Amino acid sequence: MSNEKVILNALKTDCTGCSTCADFKADNLQHAIARLNGVSKVKVDEITGKTIIEYDMQKIILSKITERFEKLGYKVEIVSREEIR
Amino acid sequence: MIEQFKGVVLVILLGLFALAGALIPGTQIAYAHEISIALTLIAVALGYRIYLHGIRSLFHKNVTAQLFATIAIFISVIAGFVLPQASATGTAEAVGYLTAAAIVAFIILAGMTTEDYIIHRTRGALEALIKMTPKTARVRRDGTEIEVPIGEVKKGEIVLVKPGDNIPVDGTVISGHSTVNQATITGESIPVEKTVGDRTFAGTLNEHGALEIKVEKIAEDTTLAHLIDLVEEAQEKKAPIQNVADRFTTYFLPIMTVVSSSVFAFTYFTIGFDVALARTVTVLLVACPCALAIAVPVAVAATIGNASMNAIIIKGGTHIEKLKDVKIVAFDKTGTLTLGEPRVVEIKTFGNYSEADTIKYAAIAEKFSEHPLSKAVIAKAAEMNLKIPDPTDFKTIPGQGVDAHYGDKHILIGRKMIETELSEEANQLMSRVESEGKTAIPVAIDKKVIGVIVVADTVRENSLEAIQRLKRLGIKTVMITGDNIRTAKSIAEQTGVDEYRAELLPEQKVDVIKELMKGSVVAMVGDGVNDAPALATSDVGFAMGAAGSDVAVETADVALLGDDLTKVEYAISLSRKAFTRMKGNIVYAFIWNIVALTIAGAGLLNPILAVVLAELGCISVVINSALLLRNKPKPFIQTKE
Repeated sequence: MSNEKVILNALKTDCTGCSTCADFKADNLQHAIARLNGVSKVKVDEITGKTIIEYDMQKIILSKITERFEKLGYKVEIVSREEIR
Repeated sequence: MIEQFKGVVLVILLGLFALAGALIPGTQIAYAHEISIALTLIAVALGYRIYLHGIRSLFHKNVTAQLFATIAIFISVIAGFVLPQASATGTAEAVGYLTAAAIVAFIILAGMTTEDYIIHRTRGALEALIKMTPKTARVRRDGTEIEVPIGEVKKGEIVLVKPGDNIPVDGTVISGHSTVNQATITGESIPVEKTVGDRTFAGTLNEHGALEIKVEKIAEDTTLAHLIDLVEEAQEKKAPIQNVADRFTTYFLPIMTVVSSSVFAFTYFTIGFDVALARTVTVLLVACPCALAIAVPVAVAATIGNASMNAIIIKGGTHIEKLKDVKIVAFDKTGTLTLGEPRVVEIKTFGNYSEADTIKYAAIAEKFSEHPLSKAVIAKAAEMNLKIPDPTDFKTIPGQGVDAHYGDKHILIGRKMIETELSEEANQLMSRVESEGKTAIPVAIDKKVIGVIVVADTVRENSLEAIQRLKRLGIKTVMITGDNIRTAKSIAEQTGVDEYRAELLPEQKVDVIKELMKGSVVAMVGDGVNDAPALATSDVGFAMGAAGSDVAVETADVALLGDDLTKVEYAISLSRKAFTRMKGNIVYAFIWNIVALTIAGAGLLNPILAVVLAELGCISVVINSALLLRNKPKPFIQTKE
């Protein structure tokens, strides 16, 4: 088992920034990423777009996760990655 | 769920602190005012989500109600500390300003939490789909059955599904027999028979028998997971009308700056500083740009969610707007309006032979033939529960028919094989049948015609209803087909389409669509594979029976997961309703803001009333949009044409 924790910024370029809307988008994003096989933890900050993800590297690769962000209309900026036990 | 719980707790805490802060000054407690100020400040601080959102919107170069609220609350708090020093009443007045700030924060936070809740509910449709896939599967490994998490099931393994359980994987049945309810995928509530060799979908319900399924796709690769992905992506796609709303929101900051500073200046010079400040705060609080911003995305998500509950995938807001304008729907014939496979529709017998005899001998002769017409005959024999022995010998003559023996009987099938033997009656029947675009298969034993089997591609059960529903919306229906004019005419009459074009090559179908598109918005309905070019050309391409065909789902603008053609009308009427509501919400939010700003600027509101009004405005828009999720297909009442 080798898990990795990655922190990234998810930016929705066309978001108006209204709170209801931002919460709505963050909620959807969180669910969409959590459904990926191998992702064990997702936390999206609806205000900053900062997202913390923990996943099993044997089951899924990071590019597969970021691809999902992009398909949902987000630009992704990886802030940090670290292996965790 | 936890997030929402936290949200509610915050609101309650804020409310309690605000209430305590407001009530304490009326009691005899020592330091009442100081305690009150402290409690109220805590209450204001508990509204931190508002300020974070407000400040965030600045970074997005956007204006939100939270930004105005943050400024308004900030001004109130400062005023609470600064202003009273100029007056004789001192702390008591400070409490007044601070209490107002706390109550305002409470109302806004309660509003935000309510909206979050309502909006979260629009995910309901998706959540229901997601829940259909079991988290574990029973797999046969090394001769024993073990239950493993779904992510650990491997392709090619055998999964066991008990009666009453949901099927966990996409695969093929290798043993067992059962009925499976595939409503999650195809929207069809009538269960489908599944036996060895049949494909099954993850998330469908196994009803009666136990099944062993060879795994083909698991987890996020299954058809259901793919559909959920598509719905999620579609919900994120903007509708063009959103740009109108966005334009208003970008003008909001300059407008608000002008309005609030003129209100302040005017009131300051005519009445005084205190009133000017209160009125400016009111103006800031009553504005509700969010109602404009949120109207469309929530409606889009609710509409797409609603469609997905009806086995329709609308792939984004743009298509909702196109759908509402559709004036012509073009249908492909074979496999769309019709079942796409020939069936026995009529059996005519001669002499002492029965229908069963005719079918039986025809089926014996055609038992080993792969021809579609033979399949229709054999299917009919199975339907009539006839036992079909093997022919002694048989010979298929391409384009003509079959020459076979069964015991001492010589069976001939096909018009050209027995042309000379046909009676006047049989000949008449065959000409009639062929003028209707059907195929007649005469069957002869020892050169004596015993019957004629009529085979035709049959119209889907609900094609007529689908066409009638569209007509009631004032939509013109056109059938386009590569088939001959006779068959086309017959199907056109049976389905009631307004117009038909026959004998078209695939590229000519594209030309017909282009021609129809001159002056009208045209939707095209097909299977999404053979007619992909025509679908792509049309304004809105519907692929039907798309479940399980990634190509069809991919190419279509709207994918009908099952075979139910009436969903075309539902998608159009749902989109019309959705668009009307989006537009209505934008207009309503716009007028609301103007009216609210005017009365606030005129000094007819206090800050608390203002914020109640603003939240009501925003919540009503959110509810109005979210309610699209509840829309249901209208019942259909058949009328005589």
